[in-house]
Amino acid sequence: MTDTSLSRSSAGAASASGGPAAGVATAAVLVDHVSHTYGRGDSAHHAIRDLAFSVQPKEFVSIVGPSGAGKTTLLRTLAGLLQPTEGAVWVNGVRNTGVPEGMAMVFQDYSRSLLPWLSVERNVAFPLAGSHHVPKPERRAIVAEALEAVGLKGFEKRYPWQLSGGMQQRVAIARALAYRPKLLLMDEPFASVDAQTREGLEDLVLSIRDRYEMTILFVTHDIDESVYLADRVLVLSRPPATLVEDIRVVLAEPRDQITTREDPEFIQLRGHVARLIHGSH
Amino acid sequence: MAATLPAGAASAGRAPRASGDRAGARHARSALVSVAYFVVPLAVIVVLWQLATTANPSPFFPPPIAIAENLVGLLFGGGQIVTPVFTGDFLTTVGRMLAGYAIGAAWGVVVGTAMGLSRASRETVTPIVEFLRSIPATATLPLFIILLGGGDDMRVIFIAYGVSWFVLINTASGVGSIHRTLLDVGRVFRVSPARRLFSIVLPAASPKIFAGLRIASTAALLLAIVSEFILATNGIGFQLIQAQGRFQLLDMWSWMLALALLGLLLNTLLDLIERRTLSWHRLSRQKL
Repeated sequence: MTDTSLSRSSAGAASASGGPAAGVATAAVLVDHVSHTYGRGDSAHHAIRDLAFSVQPKEFVSIVGPSGAGKTTLLRTLAGLLQPTEGAVWVNGVRNTGVPEGMAMVFQDYSRSLLPWLSVERNVAFPLAGSHHVPKPERRAIVAEALEAVGLKGFEKRYPWQLSGGMQQRVAIARALAYRPKLLLMDEPFASVDAQTREGLEDLVLSIRDRYEMTILFVTHDIDESVYLADRVLVLSRPPATLVEDIRVVLAEPRDQITTREDPEFIQLRGHVARLIHGSH
Repeated sequence: MAATLPAGAASAGRAPRASGDRAGARHARSALVSVAYFVVPLAVIVVLWQLATTANPSPFFPPPIAIAENLVGLLFGGGQIVTPVFTGDFLTTVGRMLAGYAIGAAWGVVVGTAMGLSRASRETVTPIVEFLRSIPATATLPLFIILLGGGDDMRVIFIAYGVSWFVLINTASGVGSIHRTLLDVGRVFRVSPARRLFSIVLPAASPKIFAGLRIASTAALLLAIVSEFILATNGIGFQLIQAQGRFQLLDMWSWMLALALLGLLLNTLLDLIERRTLSWHRLSRQKL
């Protein structure tokens, strides 16, 4: 179940040839020896150091690590919002110089990521509204489908602040879906909702993943969540964050909140991840 | 781009249907109460004033009914429906004020947005802004007269200058305090810079911009009147100075009443616009 050699060697091959090798060009995400340092000199903060891994199309990869482990830095780098001080990120075979095409993101802070002056419907349509590629009637259908996928049919005319936290995050997920991304980045998306809402949202993510055929990178500090959702769990160390282990998760599909969490394999995996995180002082 | 909300959308959407009528009645009653709070003290003062001035006449303090009657006589009647004073003085002042206000507000929003968006421009411009806006705007009038002469354009630019600071400071602060996540949303979905400005930055900053516009409207009226105290041949400020020179105290009181009504009208208008365009802000804050 642990498989560190595969992804490390593939990333290594890429850097050796100075670009993505033929086989690696098919990777959805390739992180090629990325380091990021904030500031300079004595006050410099090394957030991530020499991270290398790759993610295959339609893979669901969780990224866990102790708090302050540079998870958000890594995700912002993948999103092209931040240029790494060393190394490079390739998304769908294209080197990131800015925000890559075909990528959407769900932020932790749903109350700040939705536009409070727009209705739910118009929030979801927001990424499409400026696009000439999507004609208007088609936009309506895409928005309706996305809202239906997250279980918010009938809430089109509401405003985000009229909804509960969990529902607001569903709106943010619907907005990402309406964008039809190949790659979905999720930055601790369920950290601010209660436990029951959280389980519902986790299962929602699993269902849309099947329906929309996306590659998902899911940053979380919740160990159970990381194992429950993913095909692979990447464990990061304390900063400067390095890759501690790349763990393959093989559990019965479809995942189930009760039976999956009872599965001895699940229990063994979560224990393993917890030991890695707590032992990475 | 700010969305409008049907009146009471939040409460109507959430409240169960049966209680809708009762909520409406409560709404009407609370509106009545707030009107009463406004009208009753004012009426009491006017009545007391009327009684005191008729019992004890003084040329310095004419009775309120006489002031109002005199104002109506100043502005309305004669050959047409309105007097030459209405068009030549009252409307002239309103026109100067609105022109100066519009130019100053536009300038304030543009410069304020630029300051709010870029730290470099904020840091370069802030000391200059802080210094200039510390000079009372009224104190700059003599300079404006020397530079631009005594015409209408000088008055409009003077008003625009004085008004712009309130809008500029508020816009810069509103734009500068937009949360990073909101700006990231625009970048992540590859929204064009122009659309990010008009669909994210300005709506997000609009509550603060509007606060600036409100203070600026009061300042616009003040500066318009002051600008007409010197070298003017018409306008409400000019009429006030004329009345003072001729010791026509009733006229002075009437013009002050006209200004009070003008200020109230302006405030009510801005209130209506704010209620329409910023209802999302008011309602979302009520939720918190």
